[in-house]
Amino acid sequence: MKQSSTRSSDLKRWLSQNTGFAAALLLFAILFLTYNVLHPRGFSSAVAIQNANETVAIAFVAMAQTLPVLIGGLDLSVGAVMTLTNCVASELLTGSPLQILLGAVLTLLTGTLFGFMNGCIVVYGRIQPIIATLATGAVAIGLALLIRPKPGGNVDDDLSWALTNSVWDLADTYGFADGGEAWWLRPFADIPVPFLLVVVVAVIVWVPFRRSVTGRTVYAIGSAEGAAYMSGLPIQRAKITAFTLAGFLAACGGLYLAIQTSSGNADVQQAGAYTLNSIAAVVLGGTSLLGGTGGAIASLVGAMILRVISFYFRILDIDPLLQPLIEGLVLLTAVSFGAFRTLRVKNQLDLFR
Amino acid sequence: MNKKLKLTTALTMALPAFVLSTAMALAGPAEVSGPGVNPECFAPWSADTKFFKWDAKPGPYRIAVVNGFVGNTWRIQMIKTAKAFAEDPSLKEKISEFKVVSTGTDAPAQLGAIEDFINQGYDAIVTIAVSPDGFDRVIRLADKNNVVIVPFDNVLDTDKVMQVNEDQLKMGRMWAEFTVNELKKKGVTSGKILEVRGLPGNSVDRDRSIGINEVLDASGGDWEVVQVVGNWDDGTTQKVVADAIAVHGEFVAVVGQGGSNGVVQALKDANHPWVPVAGESENGFRKAIAEYSDDGLKGISIGQSPGLVAIAMKAAVSALEGNVMPQLISVPLPVATYDQLEDGKNYWSDLPDNFFTVNEFPPCGVNISGPEIMSQTEEDVK
Repeated sequence: MKQSSTRSSDLKRWLSQNTGFAAALLLFAILFLTYNVLHPRGFSSAVAIQNANETVAIAFVAMAQTLPVLIGGLDLSVGAVMTLTNCVASELLTGSPLQILLGAVLTLLTGTLFGFMNGCIVVYGRIQPIIATLATGAVAIGLALLIRPKPGGNVDDDLSWALTNSVWDLADTYGFADGGEAWWLRPFADIPVPFLLVVVVAVIVWVPFRRSVTGRTVYAIGSAEGAAYMSGLPIQRAKITAFTLAGFLAACGGLYLAIQTSSGNADVQQAGAYTLNSIAAVVLGGTSLLGGTGGAIASLVGAMILRVISFYFRILDIDPLLQPLIEGLVLLTAVSFGAFRTLRVKNQLDLFR
Repeated sequence: MNKKLKLTTALTMALPAFVLSTAMALAGPAEVSGPGVNPECFAPWSADTKFFKWDAKPGPYRIAVVNGFVGNTWRIQMIKTAKAFAEDPSLKEKISEFKVVSTGTDAPAQLGAIEDFINQGYDAIVTIAVSPDGFDRVIRLADKNNVVIVPFDNVLDTDKVMQVNEDQLKMGRMWAEFTVNELKKKGVTSGKILEVRGLPGNSVDRDRSIGINEVLDASGGDWEVVQVVGNWDDGTTQKVVADAIAVHGEFVAVVGQGGSNGVVQALKDANHPWVPVAGESENGFRKAIAEYSDDGLKGISIGQSPGLVAIAMKAAVSALEGNVMPQLISVPLPVATYDQLEDGKNYWSDLPDNFFTVNEFPPCGVNISGPEIMSQTEEDVK
C-alpha cells in the first residue's frame, strides 16, 4: 500500500519534471497508432521496417543535436558531419567482414574527431557554438565533396540488406541462429534491425553518459553556467564531451545512411535539411533551446513525430501542392505543446529562463 | 489486433523465406528481346538498350508519384501535369488510385515513401530520384513484390529499372555546339564562357555539364569556362550570374542549364552586351530571345519537359499490362533556336515568364500544353 503510493507520487514527480517529453510521447503514440490503423498493412513487420529505416538517420542526428542544445548552444554542423561520414563510409564499407568492421569504426572515429574539434574550437577558441559550427559544417561538406565528388560507392550488399530489415533477415543473411529459425530468436524475429541499432546506441552511449559527472555537468551548464562553475564542475570537459558525442552520434547517422543507400552522396541540400530538422526534432521532444532540460531519448521521440507527420501524406488524399503547408501547420501545433508550460508559471520572469 | 499481428508476422516470415531461398534473381521483370510496344513513344535509348517484360496484371492500377525537391516552377508544373494526365480519358479507367507526394531533398524520406507505397500494394511508382545511387534496396523490394518503379528526369545509374528521360548529355552537347557555332559566325574563338550549373549532386546536372564541356574542349577555341551554381532556379541564377559579371566583367557567351529567365535578367541589369545564350525552355527566355535576337541575343532553348511525368506514367501502365518495354526510354529533345520561334506556337508573348513551354508529346498522346496547365488554378485540375 505504502509502496504503491510512493510509486504514484514518483510518477507524478517525473511527469511534472518532464511535461514536454511526456506530451511528446503521448503525441507520438496517438499519431503512430492512428497511422497504423489507417494503413492498409498497419501493424505489420513490413511497415515497421519501412518506418524504422526512414527514421534512423534523422533520429541519430536529432540525438546528436541534443547535446549542444543542452549546454545552451546549437550545432549547425550535425547534418554536414552526417554527410561527411556517409561519404567516408561509402568508401570503406567493403571487403572482408573484418575490413567492413574496421571501416565502420573509422567512420565513427571521423565523426567523433570532428565533434572533438568543434568542442575545442568552442571551448579554447571561445567562439559561440552557432558560429563555430556554421564554419566547421562548411568544412565538413567540403571534405565530403573531396572524398566523393560524384554520388556512388560500393557498400557491401549483404550488409546493406541485413541491417535494413528484420532480425530474421539479419540471421538469414549471415546464417546464424539456424538461419533465423532458432526458437530463442522467435520473440525478436520481427523487430526491425534499424530500430534495435538506435536503441542500442541510446542505451550504451546516452544513458551512462547522462548519469556521469560530465553528463550532469552538461545539464548544469545549460541551467546556470555561472553556478556550475562556482560549484567546481568540469565545465570545459563537459562542453568538449558534448560536442564530441554529437559528432559520434551524427557519424552513427551517416554510417547508417551509407548502409541504407549502399552509397555516399555529398548532398549539400540534404545536409542543411537534416540540420534544420534535427533542431525541430529536439524541440518537438521537449528539450528547451535555452538548455538544461530535455535529453537525447526525448529527441529520438521528436524525430519519430517529425517523420510520422509526413507518413500521413502517403495514406491520406491531400493535394500534393498543399502538403508542405499542412506539414508546417501540424509542426507548428506540435511545437506549441511545448509552450503549455507558460500557462503554469507563477512568476512571469520565469519565462525568460 | 493481436491476431492480425500474428497473421502478418507469419506472412512476413514466410514470404521472405520463400523468396530469398528460391527466387531472388527471378523476381521482377524478365529480360526479353525487342522491339518493344509503341516505339514512336517508347523509343529505346540506343541499339544496346535491353528490353523488359513484366507479367501482365489485371487493371485498374494504383499509381504513386514520389517527387523529391519541390519549390521551383518546373516541379510544380510537373505535379500539375501528372494530376491532369491521371484524369486524361486515355488513362482514367486504367488508374484506380493516384497519389503524389514530395519528400524534399532527403534520400531516406524518398526511399521510405517508395517502400511505403510498395507495402501499401501500389502497382507502380513513378519517381524523380534525389540521388543517382542508393536505390538498390527499394529496387530489390519492388522486384520481390512485382511493383514497377519508373524513375524519370533525374534517373538512376542502374540498368535494373525501367527509366524515362531526355538525353542530357546530348542536350549539353547541343547547347555547346550551338554556342560555339554562333561565336564562330561572329569570329570569336577565345574568351570567357559562363556555365550556369543546376542542382548539385544529381545525374542531370552532371551529364549536362559533361556534354557542354566535352564540346567546348573539342572545339579548339581558347575558352575559359567560369562555372556558377544556379540550382535551375530563376532567382538563384540571376544572383550568381550577376555576381559572375561583377567579378569577371564580360563573357562571350552564357551556357545555362536552367533558370534562363535569371540569366537574361542579370545580363539586362548589368547592361552586359547581348551575347549568344543557351538555355532551358522557360517562356520568358523564349520571349527575350524573340525580342533581342537582332541585338545579338542569339539563343537556343532546349527543354527538359515537365510532361516527362506523363510519359513515365504511361510507360508504367504499359509495363503493367505486360507489354515489352525498353529499359531506358529516350524522349526526343524539344529544340527551338532564335530563328524558329513563333508566337503562340512555341512561346506565348501574352503569358507569364515562368512556365515551361514544352509539355506536349503528340506521338505519346500527351497533349497537355504548358499554358493550358499553368493557367488552370488548383481547383481546376483537381
